Amino acid sequence: MEEDFDNIQEFEAKATAKKLPLGWLMLYIGLIVWGIYYFVQYTPAISGWTQASAYEESLGK
Amino acid sequence: MDDYRYDNQTVNGFILSAIFWGVIGIVAGLWISVQMWLPSWNVAPYFTFGRLRVFHTNVLAVGLGIGAIFGITYYIVMRLTRVPLFLPKLARFHLYLFNVAMVLVALSLLAGMNQSVEYAELEWPLDVGVVILWVIFAIVVFGTIIKRKEDQMYISLWYVIASIVAVAILYIVNNLAVPADLFKSYQVFAGVNSANVAWWYGHNVVGFLLTTPILAMFYYFLPKSTGIPIYSHRLSIISFWSVVFAYLWTGAHHLVYTPVPDWIQTLAIIFTIFLIAPSWGSVVNGYYTVGSDWSAMRTNYLTKFFLWGITFYGLQTIQGPSQGLRTVSQLIHYTDWVPGHVHMGTMGWVTMTVCASIYYVVPKIYKTEIYSIKVANTHFWLVLIGQLMFSITMWITGIQQGAMWKAVNPDGTLKYTFMETLVPNYPYWQMRTVSGLIFTVGMLFFIYNVLMTMHQGKQRMAGAGV
Repeated sequence: MEEDFDNIQEFEAKATAKKLPLGWLMLYIGLIVWGIYYFVQYTPAISGWTQASAYEESLGK
Repeated sequence: MDDYRYDNQTVNGFILSAIFWGVIGIVAGLWISVQMWLPSWNVAPYFTFGRLRVFHTNVLAVGLGIGAIFGITYYIVMRLTRVPLFLPKLARFHLYLFNVAMVLVALSLLAGMNQSVEYAELEWPLDVGVVILWVIFAIVVFGTIIKRKEDQMYISLWYVIASIVAVAILYIVNNLAVPADLFKSYQVFAGVNSANVAWWYGHNVVGFLLTTPILAMFYYFLPKSTGIPIYSHRLSIISFWSVVFAYLWTGAHHLVYTPVPDWIQTLAIIFTIFLIAPSWGSVVNGYYTVGSDWSAMRTNYLTKFFLWGITFYGLQTIQGPSQGLRTVSQLIHYTDWVPGHVHMGTMGWVTMTVCASIYYVVPKIYKTEIYSIKVANTHFWLVLIGQLMFSITMWITGIQQGAMWKAVNPDGTLKYTFMETLVPNYPYWQMRTVSGLIFTVGMLFFIYNVLMTMHQGKQRMAGAGV
């Protein structure tokens, strides 16, 4: 019983092997930048924001 | 001897097991969907909602999901490494042990034995069994990869390795428990720590069972079945490492607005949102791949399964992360939105990709063609419609529920009682049962097609005197 092996060379395109679509790359970097912003903004030790104080504030509205 | 060399029998056995457990799990799903609006369908004590729901999730995630993953991973690994399975008899034993364990899982959950941790319901003797099954899987797969004759490791192998390592760590840590007797144990963590560990596990076990092994299938079977090579190697690799790195930080997004410390929630949210990018790396890679020759959508019936599968993966990986945001979480958390989200992943992405992989593998094993492309197309449309109806009805009712829970009178009291917020759900819950039925009929077409393909292959082999 002969088994056909995979030729791994056929799995990936050669001409475009190193391409990263620009829109995707912008998304990737953008989300890292957003992550840094969110970390600074919503970490109690950095910005002073806390879940409890946000709740208190919402009661005032 | 031949069947041990390229152990197609073990692969085939896992596929049949997955189908068997799939049927049982789907029937249980239909049953609990009826119980939601027709309480008389609870049959105490074994078939009440509380027991059948965990039966449904476990039998489908483990029986159908992991069963298919074991079998198809063996198939992929043998071919990508160009060597037979390492210790093929151990792999065969793995198949038998898997089914014995599944019987015990099913019975123990119906008997009401439950650790009371989401997705980790099994009591400690079965946890030990699961660990043994996983170690066997690891030995066979890693052994095969170490002995490989192909130097380069294709992306699917990386996903397989990551899945095996991650699930092992998650499962063992989360299931550390102190046995009280043979059928009862208590998790070593308590309170906030227990919640944090449980969702670190709960979120990632979904990721490393229902995402990464399925991506391994996607990256393997898409080029195999269409003949179109994957667009970008670099995109595959960056996505892989980013997914694997970011995933394990995200569990606490299930615990937004709980006593888990704010900074842990924030950290989890950041990594959760970041995950959109690498997840979409695979989606974009899939689109660009098929985009180089759209005619594959017409000429090959499997292309649409993979492309719609990865599309649902894409939708899932936008919806999921956005649910982690505090603003979104406070509206939809604990509502019926959540099962809507989950089922787009399981019925759309996972089942569609797994079924397409099985459609590819079974004719190869039986050296024949698929029994009927027409039946496969019918299967495709039914599961697509069933799944969309399911998800959309649950999103609508989830938002409605969340809005009613949050509604307050001018004096600050709640506008609706809990019972009042349940009543408007009924038509949606009934619609869910209908969509589940449509999906089930679609799956029956799939099973018929697979069994007939096997039958046809056996007949041809007998006819050829092999």
